Amino acid sequence: MTAPDDDDELAADYVLGTLPAERRRAVQARLPVDAALRAAVDAWEARLLPLTALAEPVEPSAALWARIENALPPAPVRAFMKASLWRNWWGSLVFWRAAAATGFVAASAIAFLPSTGLFAPAAPRYMVVLVAPNGTAPGWVVQTSSASTLRLVPLGATAVPEQRSLQFWTKADDWNAPVSLGLVQPGRSLEVKIDRLPPLVPNQLFEITLEPHNGSPTGRPTGPILYIGRLVKLS
Amino acid sequence: MHRHDAEAFDHDAALAACAQGDRAALRRLYEREGRYLLGVALRIVRDRATAEDVLHDAFMNIWTRAATFDASRGAGRAWMYGIVRHRALDAVRSGARTVSADEDVLDSLQADNPPAAPDMAEAFALRADLGRLEECLARLDTPKRNCVLFAYLEGCTHAEIAERLGSPLGSVKAWIRRGLTSLRECLA
Repeated sequence: MTAPDDDDELAADYVLGTLPAERRRAVQARLPVDAALRAAVDAWEARLLPLTALAEPVEPSAALWARIENALPPAPVRAFMKASLWRNWWGSLVFWRAAAATGFVAASAIAFLPSTGLFAPAAPRYMVVLVAPNGTAPGWVVQTSSASTLRLVPLGATAVPEQRSLQFWTKADDWNAPVSLGLVQPGRSLEVKIDRLPPLVPNQLFEITLEPHNGSPTGRPTGPILYIGRLVKLS
Repeated sequence: MHRHDAEAFDHDAALAACAQGDRAALRRLYEREGRYLLGVALRIVRDRATAEDVLHDAFMNIWTRAATFDASRGAGRAWMYGIVRHRALDAVRSGARTVSADEDVLDSLQADNPPAAPDMAEAFALRADLGRLEECLARLDTPKRNCVLFAYLEGCTHAEIAERLGSPLGSVKAWIRRGLTSLRECLA
């Protein structure tokens, strides 16, 4: 993909570092959603990278690594698909045919919830109903099917703009930041292994945000919250 | 050239391991690149404590974004240096070292015709082997080369470069534009 000349100049100035703060922020906001600009920036990064060898190395202070390690968030759960697979999926005819059947998926989810949720032998111990922040209609349900697995089930279709993705997050009250549980396909269930997260706690927050195509570029939610809910324990 | 030639190090593989939650892989990247990355950050922010904060935040970023790193878009090493440089640049730009309105005023006062290259001393010694980029830099006249290096290496704004070189702002902008165009053609 080739950027227009203006964007190539913008990419060059961004990588060189001469853009003022507000124009830097404008470029950074476009990068997740503008593949041509991203490619132009990547190309300039590669062209100028050898110049970094002109900076004299400086030994970091001994304490810096410990500071970094202590600040690392809990290992994120990687339900991510590889970015390239994700792109293939996005353009896949098979997916769009399946999406057309989303109404069926949603209806069957509702039909099966009571039996899987309340009467199945391995009944979930926790449950979350995710609703739109300004609404009351449930959009998704989260169930624990075992101590190590969450299941996110859609109750309806979610319209996702082109070049955007849904991303699933959780945060307990005492965590510093939400942890990504992966990208979500609209109208489809998602199984998430949570055995590398701290144990679930009542009231733990779950949310789905609208993010750039390949997921949040920062590792934290950057887009609007579409659905949100808190974990309740089923006695 | 003082680095990266002694042994091969697979940055992409280490980043893939980070994406799987492997902290030892992040540590290997830190041990491999930390001192070079800190050197790059320090040239831009010019303060040791701020540079270490930049490196700290950059490694948080590398860790949380490792899963979104797409090796098909470029090498992991370039990706890491980009994260560090842009965090350093964000730090100095948000510190309002630059006043863009002044640039616009100055711009309007200056002629459109880019000046001829004045007699100017080299501001940087190219002490490392920069490969093909070095040949392309050598083809630029001195003012253009100085401008590109002040910007990339020292994180200077147009106005700061103009001040350091004692040249008009409009000249600096024109030299940078032409310098980058020449580099792109030369490296193609």
